[in-house]
Amino acid sequence: MNGNCRGPEHISRRALLKGALATTAGVAVANWGGLFSSQTIAAEAQKRGKRCILLWMNGGASQIDTFDMKPGRPTGGPFREIKTKVPGYHMCEYLPRMAVIADRLGIIRSMRTQSPDHPEGIYQMHTCYKQSERMPHPELGAMIAKYLGQADADLPSFVRMGPTGNTGSGYLGPRHEPFSIDRNGKLPSFTSPYLLPAREERRNELLLAMEAEAKQASAADVYESHRVAKERAWRLLRAKSLFDTTKEWPSHEPLYGASEFGRGCFLARKLVEAGVPFVEVGQDNYDSHADNFVCHKANMQVLDPAWSGLLIDLERTGQLEDTLVVWMGEVGRTPTINNRAGRDHFIKGWTVVLAGGGIKGGVVYGSTDADGSDVAENPVSEGDLFATIYTTLGINPRVKHFVGTRPVWATPEGSQPVKELLA
Amino acid sequence: MRTPALLPAPVSKLSPLLAGRAFFIACIAQSLVATVALAGNPGAESPQSLRQLIDTQVRAGWDRENLKGEAQADDATFLRRVYLDLVGTIPTHDEARQFLEDKDAGKRATLVERLLADSRFAQQQATLWDLLLFSRNPPNSEATRKRDGFRQWLTAKFSANVPVDRWVRELLLAEEDGSELFYVQFQNKPEDLTEAFSRIFLGTQLQCARCHDHPNADLEQKDFYGMAGFFVRLVTLPQATEGTGDKQTKRYRIGEKATGEVLFAGNMKELKPGNKGEPVKPKFLGGDPLDEPPPPKDFKEPEVKTGTKSLPKPAFSRKEKLAEWTTAATNPFFARAVVNRTWSQFMGRGIVHPVDNLGAGNQPTLPALLDALAQEFVAHQFDLKWLIREIVNSQTYQLGSSGTARDALPKHFERARIRPLSAEEIMAALQVACGHDPAEKGSDSATPEYFVRYFGTPMNGHGDFQGSLSEHLFLNNSSNVRAFLRRKNGNLADTVLNSQEPWEQRVDRMFLSVLTRLPTGSEREKFVTYLQRDPGPGADPDAVIEEALWVLVNLSEFRFNH
Repeated sequence: MNGNCRGPEHISRRALLKGALATTAGVAVANWGGLFSSQTIAAEAQKRGKRCILLWMNGGASQIDTFDMKPGRPTGGPFREIKTKVPGYHMCEYLPRMAVIADRLGIIRSMRTQSPDHPEGIYQMHTCYKQSERMPHPELGAMIAKYLGQADADLPSFVRMGPTGNTGSGYLGPRHEPFSIDRNGKLPSFTSPYLLPAREERRNELLLAMEAEAKQASAADVYESHRVAKERAWRLLRAKSLFDTTKEWPSHEPLYGASEFGRGCFLARKLVEAGVPFVEVGQDNYDSHADNFVCHKANMQVLDPAWSGLLIDLERTGQLEDTLVVWMGEVGRTPTINNRAGRDHFIKGWTVVLAGGGIKGGVVYGSTDADGSDVAENPVSEGDLFATIYTTLGINPRVKHFVGTRPVWATPEGSQPVKELLA
Repeated sequence: MRTPALLPAPVSKLSPLLAGRAFFIACIAQSLVATVALAGNPGAESPQSLRQLIDTQVRAGWDRENLKGEAQADDATFLRRVYLDLVGTIPTHDEARQFLEDKDAGKRATLVERLLADSRFAQQQATLWDLLLFSRNPPNSEATRKRDGFRQWLTAKFSANVPVDRWVRELLLAEEDGSELFYVQFQNKPEDLTEAFSRIFLGTQLQCARCHDHPNADLEQKDFYGMAGFFVRLVTLPQATEGTGDKQTKRYRIGEKATGEVLFAGNMKELKPGNKGEPVKPKFLGGDPLDEPPPPKDFKEPEVKTGTKSLPKPAFSRKEKLAEWTTAATNPFFARAVVNRTWSQFMGRGIVHPVDNLGAGNQPTLPALLDALAQEFVAHQFDLKWLIREIVNSQTYQLGSSGTARDALPKHFERARIRPLSAEEIMAALQVACGHDPAEKGSDSATPEYFVRYFGTPMNGHGDFQGSLSEHLFLNNSSNVRAFLRRKNGNLADTVLNSQEPWEQRVDRMFLSVLTRLPTGSEREKFVTYLQRDPGPGADPDAVIEEALWVLVNLSEFRFNH
């Protein structure tokens, strides 16, 4: 049985094919075309088997204190810069392990974005659309789950832990909803059966026998979608032990650092290895309106081993080539240092870092002016960033879906992938 | 028999090449003519006519498409379907048994009358319209999350069967206590309000025209901004907060200013920064510009400040003009939008589908039927209960839904649709099925919020049902669901365990209670075997009953209205 061709996917395509034959109206043809291409894209992307891990810097990390340093300028702050593996490129002294593997990174220093506040920024940096449009846009994770997930997998296709996005799967539907867990692997509510396994199995067998009989009476796809989801819930619990990192963590802790975020990064690596196409791990909290430097120093001491550990671990297990690791938050931070030694929200020129998954390493793309007060060259929008991510994962950034009759694309019109970063 | 004069020339006679503005206007002109014809021929209506017309028209559609309709649904299927559709829950065991044993040939129509008179009918319609007007995640959520006052207002309208044109007019005037909340969700966002208003009450998608002229050429940006002009002067005025703690509710009033215009700056893509645009006068969609007197000389708009509780009524109210135009019998959109939406509520999809896209590019499957429904609805003074009565008494509504077909929403209504139960219906159905008192709240640890979270949005953007992981984790492992299934004094598990009847009869009771039907022979056998087996170490007979009931409520059959 072709596991990719069950349930809701099948309904939409079939229903629309029928629609296209029955009428010559433009809408139906457009529908059909959109879905047809999205199916092909899914098949293509799955063949390439790419994965994505998003390291979410909740609150918005400072670019000037990490990857876009301004030594000697009034905006520069107290941190010193250190040499990296990329000749001529320097980064913050509190990212020493990352500096050693800077030749794996594709660094975008010229993000110019639209939403300066947290809720809107978190929304837009997870969907690449503005929240005020009030369209049910899906998160990055849901889009990747749709196009890179396997329908018959035991594990969810979109896992997130810690402080992350909270938009959900939007118009892609509950099939691609996020599955939220703790960074230590603790599963959410309703994943602990209240019955003993033998009794639960007996009860489930009776349900299956009933459903088998029902299937004879009606072949409707909605019933099948219900049954398939039921089986996914059972399979997930059978694969539950995978989320438990108790045994492996002690031997990995030196590499990832002794932190909850580090442990989440390790779990993310384990999950993508097991076939989960998208995992988001959040780190709190970069929102340093006061004491920016204390905040960033502490955060980087957690981030540096966790992130570098993840990249090294992915590389040594042969997965880095197929696993894109994205580092970003909802905003950057102002070059100006306020009177509480803080930096505020900033969207006119900030940094996002990509690595693996077909991203060219050692590339530093775009720049800001001398004080970091604006992008100096090659501005990159949310849509451009998402187009880059989708392209390197093998997903068409202009794949079209519908909300009712209204067409909607994975990235806004005019979004362009950053070619310089694509290997 | 109907007089042929009642049937307008089918819209499909118009050339599809006429699509666009010309078609749009033709539709309007046609409905005006048709309305006049109807008014001149009042004797043509009889209580039986519409349901017969529905069946005739639907069957004619099958003939054209070379389709064969499904056979009528059996009594049990009809019973469960009509309960869920009319009162939002399933019948009790006793109600089901009584109906199935009733030999009266007219029992279906009698049941429909009983349910239409049930107080839960008004609640169910109010729940559906509330969800339509607010969605699961309404904007301005702080003000609109809790809306008991609005729901009470709306439920009262359905209880009294207030004609739809009248309560919509009152909603648009927003002067009655509770009614103001629809506007409050779009506080300071007249464009968003224009989109929602047009979609809900005119069945028309204007949002494309917000940023550019519509590609199908029937809508221009000026149509959008012309409509937005009716809303631009509305102001949400917060009133004193009532109550404290959990009971706290914020009250609002809707004021209307006497001045203020929508600014229109052309195609959004070509918009230059700093270009705020030109004022646009209000214009009715597909109709005339608003004939508006200039404000009185030396008129000075009162200032709206924080704490302003009310505004004087303007000498000329755009809001009133809009409410009047929208709900007039001659409005080319309103009645069609309401009947099409009501039809889809019972038939799964609109005659025009999706229901909020009555535009020219989207042809009705049965144009003459849509026209007739709209005309009759107007002729019956927008009586929603009458319309629903006619629909559910039709043979079309009462068709079976099983068979080899795979899509849930048959395009030509040749089978009944299969729709997922709403979160509210699932919880209500569990209560009835398991013999819990719906009025008894909090005692069984089932919280409505959980049901809304896990069952509230089961569709993708296309309107296709998708089973979700979280829904099943909840069904499988949550005490919220378990609370209904476990033995508790007087509930279904308790009744079954206390019964001295043979197991076969007890299984029949379980099926009738949960699935509103008797088991098949093999189902009965499976359950009897299951219930009679040794419960095993660490389990008692209570647990076995609970497991068997869990199976019934987890069936796809229970998840859907079919």
